Amino acid sequence: MASPQTRKPKPDEVLKHTKPTDSFLCPLSANTAGIQFLQFKIRNTEDGSTIFETSAEESAKELLNLDSIDENALRTIKYQFDKSFLRTKSIGTTDSLVFQVGDKPVQNFRMIERHYFKEKLLKSFDFNFKFCIPNSVNSWECIYEMPTLSEKEAKEIEDHPYETKSDSFYFVNDGDLIMHNKASYAYVDKK
Amino acid sequence: MGLWSIIKKIKEKEKEMRLLMLGLDNAGKTTIVKKFNGEDIDTISPTLGFNIKTLEYKNYKLNVWDIGGQQTLRSYWRNYFEETDGLIWVVDSADVVRLNDCKRELDKLLQEEKLAGASLLILANKQDLKNALSKDEIAKILDLDVNNNKLMTNRHWHLEKCSAVTGEGLVDGVDWIVEDIASRIFLLE
Repeated sequence: MASPQTRKPKPDEVLKHTKPTDSFLCPLSANTAGIQFLQFKIRNTEDGSTIFETSAEESAKELLNLDSIDENALRTIKYQFDKSFLRTKSIGTTDSLVFQVGDKPVQNFRMIERHYFKEKLLKSFDFNFKFCIPNSVNSWECIYEMPTLSEKEAKEIEDHPYETKSDSFYFVNDGDLIMHNKASYAYVDKK
Repeated sequence: MGLWSIIKKIKEKEKEMRLLMLGLDNAGKTTIVKKFNGEDIDTISPTLGFNIKTLEYKNYKLNVWDIGGQQTLRSYWRNYFEETDGLIWVVDSADVVRLNDCKRELDKLLQEEKLAGASLLILANKQDLKNALSKDEIAKILDLDVNNNKLMTNRHWHLEKCSAVTGEGLVDGVDWIVEDIASRIFLLE
């Protein structure tokens, strides 16, 4: 008998999610396209300052510092952002992602990311890269508008570190899920 | 209301445009996008795939697809033609030796059915270099003459000289293509 987890969801299904998933919806081995993230950066759109930056090299170093590597650790990132992030009126951020693909062309590469606080959807985006050239290194940059939060909402998010969560789903071809990563966010005093 | 006007309306709501940047390798495509966006242009390496960037400009959302121009990558360009509103062809005006290659690749694109409706902006880049050819010389070599070159008939096109280093001509060129696309796609308010 097939368990629900063996059937991978399609894009229109994950677009209906109302909260973070309880588990990963595909195994690490599903990534048959050989997609590897090399760099991820978040910048403030207004002044260009870097808010967050990581590279494949740094992630590897961090993993070496862990006592044991489990699958969850590999697929979940924890972010800490400054509190002011929650309150700046309509702060724009530029997120940029650099990734490489394996030695076969990748068709219809689509990324869907859903951000939630508890069971409330904060933002969702959906982008289709259409095609990736074999062995290519590609970059993608997009401007985000942070949703405007009331002081009460901002305070609640701040008081519940890492309960703001996101699911990132990556599909290829006819909506085949090949990667699913998670992230959680805490807003602290960083300045 | 016909289907076309419905499509126009939907697009208008988002005010989104898809711009495809192509040209030979080392023409300066990535540098142009970065300079236009006010970013640092000191450390730019050859594009070995694509760089996609969303820019907000004059109430429009520009989805810029800058695809690598190396010979091995050119056969993949066709994968990015669909839904292109504007094609930006970047020319290295100082690379005289390869201007014939440049013309040949441009001519191929102009024959592509999927790009037939796209506005065409040609950027004669690297005008800051001493040996750069002038706008007129580039126009002549690329045969940008509607009366002479059948591929140019019925096409909305514009040639702009520019420099990704100084920024000269970039705003003028982008303004032209954005306005041309807007006048074709969006309903007048």
